[in-house]
Amino acid sequence: MDKCIACGTCAEKCPAKTADAFNEGLAKRKAIYVPYAQAVPLKYAIDKNRCIYFQKGKCRACEKFCPTNAIKFDDQEKDITLNVGSVIITAGFTPFNPDKFDNYQHAKFPNVVTSMEFERILSAGGPFGGHIHRLSDGREPQKIAWLQCVGSRDLNRCDNEYCSSVCCMYAIKESVIAKEHLGPDFKPTIFFMDMRTHGKDFEKYYERAKSQGVRFIRSRVHTITETDTSGTLELVYATESGERVSEQFDMVVLSVGMEPAASAMEAAKTLGIELNNYHFVKTSDMTPVATSREGIFVAGALQGPKDIPQSVVEASAAACSAAVNLASARGSLVKEKTFPAERSVQDDAPRIGVFVCNCGINIGGIADVPAVAAYARELGNVVFTEEPLFACSQDAQEKMVEIIREQKLNRVVVAACTPRTHEPLFQETIRNAGLNPYLFEMANIRNQCTWVHSSEKEKATEKAKDLVRMAVQRAGILEPIPDLSVGVNKSALVIGGGVAGMTAAISLADQGFAATVVEKSSSLGGSARDVQHSWRGEDIQAHLKKLVDRVNSHPHITVLTLAEIVDASGFVGNFETRVKVNTNIHTIQHGVVIVATGGRASVTDEYLYGKHPAVTRWHDLEQNPELLSGASSVVFIQCVGSRDDQRPYCSRLCCTSSVYQAIEIKENHPDTDVFILYRDIRTFGEREVLYKKAREKGVIFIRYSLDKKPVVTGSGDGLDVRVFDPILQKELVIHADRVNLATAIEPSPNEDIAALYKLPVNAEKFFMEAHAKLRPVDFASDGLFVCGIAHYPKSIDESIAQAMAAAGRAATVLARASIQISPLVSQVNSDLCIGCGLCTEICPFGAIIQEDADGKGFRAKNISASCKGCGLCASSCPKKAIDMLHFRDAQILAAVCAAV
Amino acid sequence: MSNKTTVGSVLVVGGGITGMQSAIDLAESGYYVYLVEESPAIGGVMAQLDKTFPTNDCSM
Amino acid sequence: MEQAEPKIVAFLCNWCAYAGADLAGVSRLQHPSNMRTVRVMCSGRIDPLFVVQALKSGCDGVLVAG
Repeated sequence: MDKCIACGTCAEKCPAKTADAFNEGLAKRKAIYVPYAQAVPLKYAIDKNRCIYFQKGKCRACEKFCPTNAIKFDDQEKDITLNVGSVIITAGFTPFNPDKFDNYQHAKFPNVVTSMEFERILSAGGPFGGHIHRLSDGREPQKIAWLQCVGSRDLNRCDNEYCSSVCCMYAIKESVIAKEHLGPDFKPTIFFMDMRTHGKDFEKYYERAKSQGVRFIRSRVHTITETDTSGTLELVYATESGERVSEQFDMVVLSVGMEPAASAMEAAKTLGIELNNYHFVKTSDMTPVATSREGIFVAGALQGPKDIPQSVVEASAAACSAAVNLASARGSLVKEKTFPAERSVQDDAPRIGVFVCNCGINIGGIADVPAVAAYARELGNVVFTEEPLFACSQDAQEKMVEIIREQKLNRVVVAACTPRTHEPLFQETIRNAGLNPYLFEMANIRNQCTWVHSSEKEKATEKAKDLVRMAVQRAGILEPIPDLSVGVNKSALVIGGGVAGMTAAISLADQGFAATVVEKSSSLGGSARDVQHSWRGEDIQAHLKKLVDRVNSHPHITVLTLAEIVDASGFVGNFETRVKVNTNIHTIQHGVVIVATGGRASVTDEYLYGKHPAVTRWHDLEQNPELLSGASSVVFIQCVGSRDDQRPYCSRLCCTSSVYQAIEIKENHPDTDVFILYRDIRTFGEREVLYKKAREKGVIFIRYSLDKKPVVTGSGDGLDVRVFDPILQKELVIHADRVNLATAIEPSPNEDIAALYKLPVNAEKFFMEAHAKLRPVDFASDGLFVCGIAHYPKSIDESIAQAMAAAGRAATVLARASIQISPLVSQVNSDLCIGCGLCTEICPFGAIIQEDADGKGFRAKNISASCKGCGLCASSCPKKAIDMLHFRDAQILAAVCAAV
Repeated sequence: MSNKTTVGSVLVVGGGITGMQSAIDLAESGYYVYLVEESPAIGGVMAQLDKTFPTNDCSM
Repeated sequence: MEQAEPKIVAFLCNWCAYAGADLAGVSRLQHPSNMRTVRVMCSGRIDPLFVVQALKSGCDGVLVAG
């Protein structure tokens, strides 16, 4: 594996083909393969079951042609014993296989594909290069139907009664992307039961899809047949009002759900951890990543169906949990790498060495490498050239170190593959030879030259020469750049003393980091004080009491209540925040900030709320059970102030909460009629089981639409609720003793916090994370994290997971004495600066401030620790007072001028 | 648990997006990580996706 | 007469367009060889003067991708 340079010759020569699982079997791959082009590690592997040598005892073509002798047929499976302090299992899910059910016709009709197959069809890197066509006849489809809940919410045909949580959104996404591919005449249709777009910014995505022409039909398709020999399909379905429709489609995409991966279940069994009814790993709402076995944690879709951001949150939460257990051994098994002292090059004329890599035949087989090297030798300042077979191989690296020393090189150019994968390796090599790593430059003559001009050998050679010339010109004026590191204050400021804030503080304090919790109200607890039970039925108040006690008694936690943040400054590792408590100002130095300012149920003036005593909201009934005594009829109204023009988002918790409460009422007062008026029931994941239970208990669900909202009027002591029932196609009047409203969840006021720490919020004032998918608890600026309802409405288990994730991410900062940051940052020349402030305004990271310069007015000042090196400031500065290290104007222009 | 028996390393089972994130966080916090994946490459199901909602970002 | 091939200077962002150009290589997507790439850390780094300088130096077109 160390020898493989991923040139691909083996796969080219391999005679054995097999179905490509990465492309869901829609394409073929060889028996020696990399799963996909960007695979990590980028090393070819032999599929033993398909390899002719392994199956029949002869062939070995790959071995014959491999230029680096990297093929090892005698490699044996080995058992390895690892001694570890903790285990995290994240072995994931398998998409539901619809082939076992003939009603979906996936196995039989070529134009019925699964959503995973459709992902590969859409992908530019997929089997068809992103061109959508029917598998039966290659024709571009004009109409595609997506069928939701295939292998989910289905007890009749499979055992998966849970909702898979992600299929509604991915179906919308696939339909939107397909429309981008196929143009305005393309007609996508999604057949669904409830649209579940309960995540952050999902509802807007759904609305946008509707306006872009995606058709949504609330129905379950019961029959799929082929109408002709070309493979066109006929779908038969019933509309909500009972009308039977048959309609033709070119293709059908089955939105398949999630099942725990078989190998994951096996691993769970080996580890001895408990699974739940659906074979997902069993957890509690209060400890959402802890398995039944101490020291073993779970994260991702193996714990239950969920989307990527929630999986990433749990990943960081599990890492945090493991770190809490192992805190005393932190740093005991990791080592720092050391390098020889750096040689000063400031006073020497450039002595450039150019290494033109052959990369086996990848470069050398197309470009004339000796000619490129000879050309380089003639360039100014070049004193040495060489043509290694593989510049990145271990022996070539060692030789390079020797050559740098012998030839007294002070700049190095490697013409080879791409700096994106290999620059760090070569930088390390020249560091080993005593050179600063930034005295290195690469010319990309493989990925961007010989690989893409393989039939134009002469032109590829010419281009390679040009690229080497550009690199040499630039290398001649590269400068050594010292490492940049900042010290870290090993403590955290946690803003907000609700469940999220307290959990984050405890998770850090248990690792030995100090935390200060700043709470603006007089007591800890936040919005969880109003909620009795989690959706799994666990006691929230008991948990809350434990949390408050632990926070108050923890030696590493300071709690400030009735506290207001009045000023904040600094950057990662080095923040300073001033907090006002009564009339006292506390100045707190801290390394990280965790924002957990929470949210609350909004008030409304709809449905007689505040005007009629029988109209309540959220947990009023639960907290005041006497309100239910003698009530013969209770109506819940969902989406009060959510999913409308004012708040175009789903509040995520309300469906589950109302369904849970409805079940409780039915259990305590079986004779009470309970109605839930809803738009879509969004009991995602295993919460779906509650929805089913509620229906079994006799709770009546009536759907309403935004244009026909229910109307509540006073009627004696009680209320009359008028609602149009779309199934009966007529208006119903329900006499209710109580009407309980699920009002929208909104963020707590947070403008001041957002302004003080320069944190972005979205249109609805929820804090915006750095990346919706991959960085769900980080802010774009380093050292700041978000969790809980401040980020988006979420249930207590999700808040706890996110709080632990924020603590886990924060610990990656706090665990170090200092943080190495990329020294490729911007530099202000204050003699040229006129203090116009454009750079400060334009910097997305708050990395340039304006500072008073002794009576001369303001001058720009770099906060290098926050700088990401983008160079927006440099290109915008009207006085050219800002330059970028390693990407100075002169260095870029040197390459530009050498390009032609 | 006494210090003597605490081992500063973690085994992460599964090299999908979740496993990778756990591994990165732990490594950056000072723990040695063994990331175990059954297939020849890490990346998991996410690597197979064309784009991701709600931003339509490429999943690579 | 064969048309002269224009010379293009491309400024590519390290994190996206440059990565895309690399991926074109991994996927062996063949394309004309008359482009010369300058890698930058963000397309926002491109000063209009860089574009002017490229044209002044004799290139026929400039691509900024990021």
